[in-house]
Amino acid sequence: MYLAQEIINLEKVDKSFSGIPVIDNLSFTVRRGEILGFLGPNGTGKTTTIRLLNGVITPDTGRLTVAGFDPVTAGDEVRKRCGVLTESAALYGPMTARENLLFFAELYAVANPARRVEELLDVCGLLPHADKKVAVFSTGMKKRLGIAKALLHQPEILFLDEPTTGLDPEGARALLDYIKELNQRFAVTIVLATHLLPQVEALCHRFIFIDRGRLLAEGTFAELADKYLTTLSLQVETDLTITGTEFRGFLLEKSTPGFLQFKLERKEQIPLLLKELLATGPVYSAKIIGRDLETLYFRIKEEKA
Amino acid sequence: MNKRAAKAIITKDIKAISSNIQLWLPMIVVPLFFSLVLPLVLVLPARFTDLSAIGNSDVIMRLFSQLPPGRLRETIFAFPAVQQQIVYFTVNYLFAPFFLLIPLMTASVIGANSFAGEKERKTLETLLFAPLDLNTLFWAKILAAFLPATLLTLICSFLYGIVVNITAYPLFGRLIFPEGNWFLLLLWVSPALSLGTVFVNVFISAKVKGFQEAFQLSGLVILPILGLFIGQLFGILLVSSVFLWWFGAALWFINFLLLKKCGRFLNRDQLFTSQVS
Repeated sequence: MYLAQEIINLEKVDKSFSGIPVIDNLSFTVRRGEILGFLGPNGTGKTTTIRLLNGVITPDTGRLTVAGFDPVTAGDEVRKRCGVLTESAALYGPMTARENLLFFAELYAVANPARRVEELLDVCGLLPHADKKVAVFSTGMKKRLGIAKALLHQPEILFLDEPTTGLDPEGARALLDYIKELNQRFAVTIVLATHLLPQVEALCHRFIFIDRGRLLAEGTFAELADKYLTTLSLQVETDLTITGTEFRGFLLEKSTPGFLQFKLERKEQIPLLLKELLATGPVYSAKIIGRDLETLYFRIKEEKA
Repeated sequence: MNKRAAKAIITKDIKAISSNIQLWLPMIVVPLFFSLVLPLVLVLPARFTDLSAIGNSDVIMRLFSQLPPGRLRETIFAFPAVQQQIVYFTVNYLFAPFFLLIPLMTASVIGANSFAGEKERKTLETLLFAPLDLNTLFWAKILAAFLPATLLTLICSFLYGIVVNITAYPLFGRLIFPEGNWFLLLLWVSPALSLGTVFVNVFISAKVKGFQEAFQLSGLVILPILGLFIGQLFGILLVSSVFLWWFGAALWFINFLLLKKCGRFLNRDQLFTSQVS
């Protein structure tokens, strides 16, 4: 039975190409209205999963449900409700941005296509370039146009496969802000597949880590961090100098001019350490090192290997 | 069949051809040569010079004498002048196979561009992500190549007819084109040939990487027609209407078989696996 809060569900899905398994017993769910970070190295099955969920390819075994439909048997119903941006699926280079969007608006049976296309060109900042051929577009412009295409039919679910690859930092930031806005304003469920972990750490509500087509871990950052980041490092900016490898029972990891780095077992130790330090000398700043998505990712990979 | 999507795809493909001069210019130069220049170079000299003085004319005369009894023989020998006999025979019979070459070449170029081009430019996957049933995609693609090829053939025949009739009128005092089996050729055989060429292109495109390769391979389709043309020159196939009926019928039957075979592509997973990944 399809639960209202579950918009995507995979159950024990397998897919192999020419005998080589690409997706291996993959199960996970995506909740309505969330931004899911779908993380893993390149070539690990993220794009394949997106293709499976959109019924472009069929799984060898397992069950898929997307927006209440089975992509294998009701693919067009799924595709009507999903917008997709993948690196492998291009737009028409010899056509202008506007022509591309108008063409896809027909395929997606958009009502009042001219108005919708104008609206999206504006939203994606492409109005000044609407009548230029896509072939001359920069990577960033192509990505923005790809997103405009994915949004044409006001999808319930948006699959974005490496949306920021090839973008400059400003472009990536603007795009991620826009993704956040889409999610907040229109409650679009977003599956964001990427290997650029630092960019999406603050954006996603939950994360799924996969490697070689297998699920490694699933959860919110806090849940995953509590489970996998059992030790942490605290970097303190201070004038104090410490000789040896210990300070009042706290393990000193690294010492550089003006900075000390301690290794702690639990985050509850942080205030205790700071209290001891402040009693000895000035502390200007303190920062947790390694409590980020990237460290989490490598820790999970290590543990599951 | 999703008519709105089909119309969009057909329009897009036809626009893609018409906006690419490198594609359409070579494609229409040869047909225009067939339909405008060829009749001029034949009919005008025939009007102003004595053809029987030219060395090769006795070959054609001998051909006429070997014509089987029937309407063609009677029509030809009813003309009192050798000029009239030669002009009538050439414009109505000898040049006819050119008008089978036109749909062949056009359907090849457009077909190769339409199918392999979509794959080459990585846009096929974008189409597969759309709520577009493959039946619609398939037929839209077929029509996007078939319609322009057929239309171009009809336009060229129309132009050919005008040039022939204008230039030959003083010689005959009446309109001499179209006669014989032209309607059969243009409305029965030529569309079947266009469709068959498009189908063959679908298969070729499924096997090759890009448009260039597809186009080169599809050139092979032209060879049998060249054979037909050479056969025609040697008087082997002095095209009879019965032959054309059967030739067309055979083509339509082959198309039907190809259509059934193309049906096996109508599965997203297979299409993706064979064409995209």
